[in-house]
Amino acid sequence: MFLRSLFCSACSLLLFLGLSWTVQAQENKIPRAWEDDQFQLVDGDRVVFLGNTFIEREQRYGYIETRLTLAYPNKKIIFRNLGWSGDNVRGESRARFGNTAEGYAHLQKSLELVKPTVVFVSYGSNAAYQGKAGLAEFEAGYNTLLDSLDKYTTRIVMLSPTPLEKLAAPLPDPAKQNARLAVYRDTIKDMAYKRGYLFVDLFDQLGENLELHQDKKVNLTDNGLHLTAYGYWEASFPFAKLAENSKSVSIASPLSSKQSGAVQKLRKTILEKNELFFYRYRPQNETYLYLFRKHEQGNNAAEIPLFDPLIAAKELEIDKLKQRAVKQK
Amino acid sequence: MNRILTALAVGLLLPNALFAQRNLKVIPDTNPDVQRDSFIVADGFEVNLYASDPAIAKPIQMNFDAQGRLWVASSSIYPQIKPGQVANDKIIVLEDADHDGVAEKSTVFADGLLIPTGVLPGDGGVYVANSTELLHLKDTNGDGKSDTTRVVLSGFGTEDTHHILHTLRWGHDGMMYFNQSIYIHSHIETPHGVRRLNGGGIWRFRPETMELDVLAKGLVNTWGHHFDQWGANFATDGAGGQGINYVFPGAVFLTSPGARRVVSGMNPGSPKYCGLEIISGSHLPDDWQGNCITADFRAHRVCRFILEEDGSGYVSRQTEELLKTKHGSFRPIDIKMGPDGAIYIADFYNPIIQHGEVDFRDERRDHTHGRIWRVSRKGAEKVKQRDLVNSTIPELLEALKAKEEWVRLHAKLILKSKGAKAVLPELVKWIANLDQTDSTADHQLLEGLWVYQSLDVVNEPLLAKLLNHNNPQVRAAAVRVCGQWFEHLKTPNKYLAAGVNDSHPRVRLESVRVAADHPSLESVKIIADAHKHSIDKSLDFALWTAANDLQSVWLPAIEQGEIDIAKNPQYWLFNFTSVSSGDIVKPALELISEDSLSSDVRKHLLNLVAQRGNAEHLGILFNHIVEIAAENSARSTELLSALTATTVARKIKPQGDLTRLASLLDSKNSALVQAAALAAGSWKLESLRETVTHLSNDAANPSHVGAINALARFGGKESINQLNRLAITGKTYQQKRLAVEAMSRVAPILGSRRAVDLLKTMTADQNPADVLNPFLSRKGGGDMLATSLKDVKLDSDISNKAIRVVRSTTTPSAKLLEALKKSGNLTSELRVWTDQQLKEITQAAVKSGDPAKGELIYRRKELSCLKCHAIGEAGGVVGPNMISLGASAPVDYIVESLLRPSAKVKENFHSLIILTDAGQVVSGIPVRRTDTDLVLRDAEDRQITIPLDSIEREKEGRSLMPDGAMDSLTRAEIVDLVRFISELGKEGPYGVDSRKFVRRWKVLPYSNAANGRLNRTSTDIAATDDPAFQWVTEYAMVSGKLPIDGLPTFKPHRNGDLLSFVRAEFDVTTAGEIVLEFANIKGIAIWVDESPTPIKKQMKINWKKGKHRLTLAISRNDPVAPLQVQLLEAKSSGRAIIVSGK
Repeated sequence: MFLRSLFCSACSLLLFLGLSWTVQAQENKIPRAWEDDQFQLVDGDRVVFLGNTFIEREQRYGYIETRLTLAYPNKKIIFRNLGWSGDNVRGESRARFGNTAEGYAHLQKSLELVKPTVVFVSYGSNAAYQGKAGLAEFEAGYNTLLDSLDKYTTRIVMLSPTPLEKLAAPLPDPAKQNARLAVYRDTIKDMAYKRGYLFVDLFDQLGENLELHQDKKVNLTDNGLHLTAYGYWEASFPFAKLAENSKSVSIASPLSSKQSGAVQKLRKTILEKNELFFYRYRPQNETYLYLFRKHEQGNNAAEIPLFDPLIAAKELEIDKLKQRAVKQK
Repeated sequence: MNRILTALAVGLLLPNALFAQRNLKVIPDTNPDVQRDSFIVADGFEVNLYASDPAIAKPIQMNFDAQGRLWVASSSIYPQIKPGQVANDKIIVLEDADHDGVAEKSTVFADGLLIPTGVLPGDGGVYVANSTELLHLKDTNGDGKSDTTRVVLSGFGTEDTHHILHTLRWGHDGMMYFNQSIYIHSHIETPHGVRRLNGGGIWRFRPETMELDVLAKGLVNTWGHHFDQWGANFATDGAGGQGINYVFPGAVFLTSPGARRVVSGMNPGSPKYCGLEIISGSHLPDDWQGNCITADFRAHRVCRFILEEDGSGYVSRQTEELLKTKHGSFRPIDIKMGPDGAIYIADFYNPIIQHGEVDFRDERRDHTHGRIWRVSRKGAEKVKQRDLVNSTIPELLEALKAKEEWVRLHAKLILKSKGAKAVLPELVKWIANLDQTDSTADHQLLEGLWVYQSLDVVNEPLLAKLLNHNNPQVRAAAVRVCGQWFEHLKTPNKYLAAGVNDSHPRVRLESVRVAADHPSLESVKIIADAHKHSIDKSLDFALWTAANDLQSVWLPAIEQGEIDIAKNPQYWLFNFTSVSSGDIVKPALELISEDSLSSDVRKHLLNLVAQRGNAEHLGILFNHIVEIAAENSARSTELLSALTATTVARKIKPQGDLTRLASLLDSKNSALVQAAALAAGSWKLESLRETVTHLSNDAANPSHVGAINALARFGGKESINQLNRLAITGKTYQQKRLAVEAMSRVAPILGSRRAVDLLKTMTADQNPADVLNPFLSRKGGGDMLATSLKDVKLDSDISNKAIRVVRSTTTPSAKLLEALKKSGNLTSELRVWTDQQLKEITQAAVKSGDPAKGELIYRRKELSCLKCHAIGEAGGVVGPNMISLGASAPVDYIVESLLRPSAKVKENFHSLIILTDAGQVVSGIPVRRTDTDLVLRDAEDRQITIPLDSIEREKEGRSLMPDGAMDSLTRAEIVDLVRFISELGKEGPYGVDSRKFVRRWKVLPYSNAANGRLNRTSTDIAATDDPAFQWVTEYAMVSGKLPIDGLPTFKPHRNGDLLSFVRAEFDVTTAGEIVLEFANIKGIAIWVDESPTPIKKQMKINWKKGKHRLTLAISRNDPVAPLQVQLLEAKSSGRAIIVSGK
């Protein structure tokens, strides 16, 4: 094991050198802004999904990511999910022991880990509970966050919140919150326009103008708020529309009985990669690894970067699988 | 093989951290038979192995389902997933289909989990706490394995894997309860909004509506939570030391971030407990019903507590253990009553607990074993298991009459799953036909209400009936339901208005909480009524919290004239005092001007103005102080001191003509003169400087003390010159010392030279700490002293003492230590212990250490062990309680902690070092942090409040235990001390004793004044509060005995006895007879409170509620056996807490 770990570090060193060489070579070619207001991913892109529960849970279903992966089967692109439940534009959920400022700093640190070249960002569903009273604060906070993303890229796609679904009592009637969400959606859309970013209206496309991609009507959520696997599958279509050429490969709905084949293998591998990255960027026991008790167990923090080569290996697998999936179509 | 190599690889990176944990601790035999044979079980009970490895490994939580199967969450990955390791922890289902008390079948229901810390069958599947998520797993195709995963809630923090989401339970009300611990920060989205909880707490969740809220906050590791049959909640804490905690809605316990006030548990000084089951059922004895079973997992004990009502809360007293063992891997961490009425214990089975102090990858960590033990009553009939799943609705309703909670709970859950439409018609009939003469009729009716609640059907008439029930337990539970249904009720406030006036205090408490949870002017009015009745600790907390919860309602209402506060000044004083806002000052001032106000209320309101007023308010107060000075100088002093303190802390000055202070400086009351001098200095009233300077010169006038201090407040060259003069030419040591101390604030460099002058001439009775500390608590102060010590010679004793003072600070100045060594011509170094020496001491302690000698060393005054570290109820609270340390910590850990205090620091005992904007360095253990202040506990157990906006820098410090604390001990003494500590909590003479002894005594030290009083009056005077008697604290030994030899003696009369005086204090919470037992009474005279009373071996004392004490005179003419006094709770009709602490 010791020899192996030496070998591994050598590997990761090579990998790192290799990667940084390619990054160097490609970095110049990666655009900083959308060309012709058109969504396009290029070789070497590092795509971040940033937001609250909607983003966080996508990593355990992966339909949106699989859809985007298949749209660019021949390009080397990595996706990193930085969603955090209950989060808002100030990074409040990421504060751990500190105040909101620390949450925001933690969010920035996570971004720095990935150094994104493309960002899908989704906030507003939690702020909307404040209604109009919270709108100005939300907009100001969001602009601050977007300014900080600007450091990395302006290839940003702003996502509207998803609508609440009306389910049977005793779950609450979502009418009031949906009215508030619509106002927030308008503001986000407006911000995207002003800043020259792209915008995906999930509120509309999963709400009033939902085009079902299967015959039978099935609920998108199980509690009115959070998408199910099927909900994420439906939610991936607006992303397919965004990356126009991805319509070509079909992904089986989670309700379909056909859950095998290269596409499913690809999705499964993406989920495994997401899990590994989760351990990397948001490990358990942070108190001992990085925070105020690091003087006791901080030595174990050395283990955490050892997830990097494991993630890199998964990426290689994903690259192979996505090409196979396209060929098999 | 792999594990060893990994350890090696990590070890090469950081050898010290790993090797320091290595020791020779014997890993116990893993054979379950060996473990079972080691159990000592309560009389009349027996224990058998229900399930064991390899079927289960590392059980964390367990719960029985409606079929009687036991679901177990288990984790081999704990404490941390390794890169390359697959998250594959499991949910196991154990089945005892033939009901012989042994599970013959085990099934892996789910795998692929990451440290699942909670499991709860329900809603057609099982809820699992899995890292950041609460999952619901289901087997839809009937193959016994989960095939569907639904994320129910997400966003639970994972900052520490033994704190993550845990202790899942169903309530009587159909709601799910779960807990999180101190380091966890959770942010959870629900369709009703985002719910956040920072720090520990108990969540309350209704899955079908997604309503989620927090029942109570705080506690360190709430690894146990249960309710009695009436729905009152109780919790245990796996790291707090207060035993059973009574949890009411809105309760806030220790460690809750931002809490300004907390409630405490019922058994302070307890070891830490995991799991909690309140027991019920026909298999167990009648007097066990409603008892708490919880586990002291560190000391390998399963304990029993008896709960009793006490005012609006409860008292809990410990009784004989259910089970105990010396087996070092027995780690009882969850307890549940089984469907057969027996008690089931989940044994995590590990020689190592926790992962904060012991390395994640320590080789001694067990990852493969785990047991479920079943404790049953010999010869008693098992409960016959009912087939609830196949019961009809009427049968399920009848099951609600069962004695066993397991039956009632699952009957209700099944009824819930059948839905309101099917159940309601039968439920109406069932309630209508209940037999009112049945002894449990009250409880049956309450179960009926809970069924409505479970079905999400509001039944206001039934609720109203229960709110009026003659059983207060029923009324209290109904008020809780009223809170849940509030929005759907026609007249909720009418119920609450009655509830706050209820004859039973707990009904009042529950009503106050519901009113506070539904803020309105109406609820502000309703709660006022609760103040008309007697108020105890829990109620007082509830009212205080309510005042805060409702502040956003009542404060604007007062400002807009919607509330006439003059009508109920007491209530408004309480509310104003409870909140921290300064906005209450304006209404408080208005209230003060009411003629009808009682002087007591006025006094307290003025104090509030002094603490929180703005410059204008403080100006009004200042004038008041000057005006009353002549007639009431004491009150004037008190207010002026408060006013000065607030102006300094908040950097403001009262408005108006402050030179009116001059008249106060002329007062005959020295305290007032000093307060005025300090005020003059603080407000820099130059016109008064001369008077103050004059006072500072007069060493014969007691006011010179305050005046010297005041000079530093004035500041400026003039002050420095005057202080320097005093430091050199002062008439007394005190005058010089005070001047030096004052200089440390205004001219620290010059001051440090004067300090060194004082050290040079210091005599043995003077303490270098007094001179050094003012400098050591300033940024760079130590280095300044070092510079001033250059080429100065000091007496070596003084130098030695000074070195000890410096080392006891959290950031000892290396330069100063070096300078002191040189000045005192000392060669001694701080003893540095090698890993080899640590290892040898560990070995020697295990082999040959003498715990009895060790205890005497622990008690030595000069080591100050007891000053900071209590053993149970005896000792200070600065450092961790040692009560069961030996049972939980490996010996090498104890050795390292003694000799390298900062290598490993216990949870919650990390110090903070604060630099204030005034250049002051303060260090201590954080007690709480609110929106405005940080409160630290320093090494002297003082609580220091630091306003947050005065903090310039804050950094994490080391342990408060000084390096070299053991340097005065020989190696053999250290070995004995280690042995003693390592025996603490282990079964044996140093184990945890559930008997209640007086462990903190007050002893009367000899003084001429005290002896004189005794000589001139009778010994009766010793039982009074005579100021000549300055009692000091002395602690009993672990055995509960207080050694009499060595206590100070008096000989008040030439021909009289040689006497020692000691005292014990009691806080009586329920009036009645308190029974005390004395181990020996020879030569002892006793006063109960102040009346002399004949002493008996067993004394029955009738005490009213409140503080009481015993004073003992012990004749020392002949040798006397140690004193041992036990409170016999079971024989007492009243309830008393033996006062412990400082």
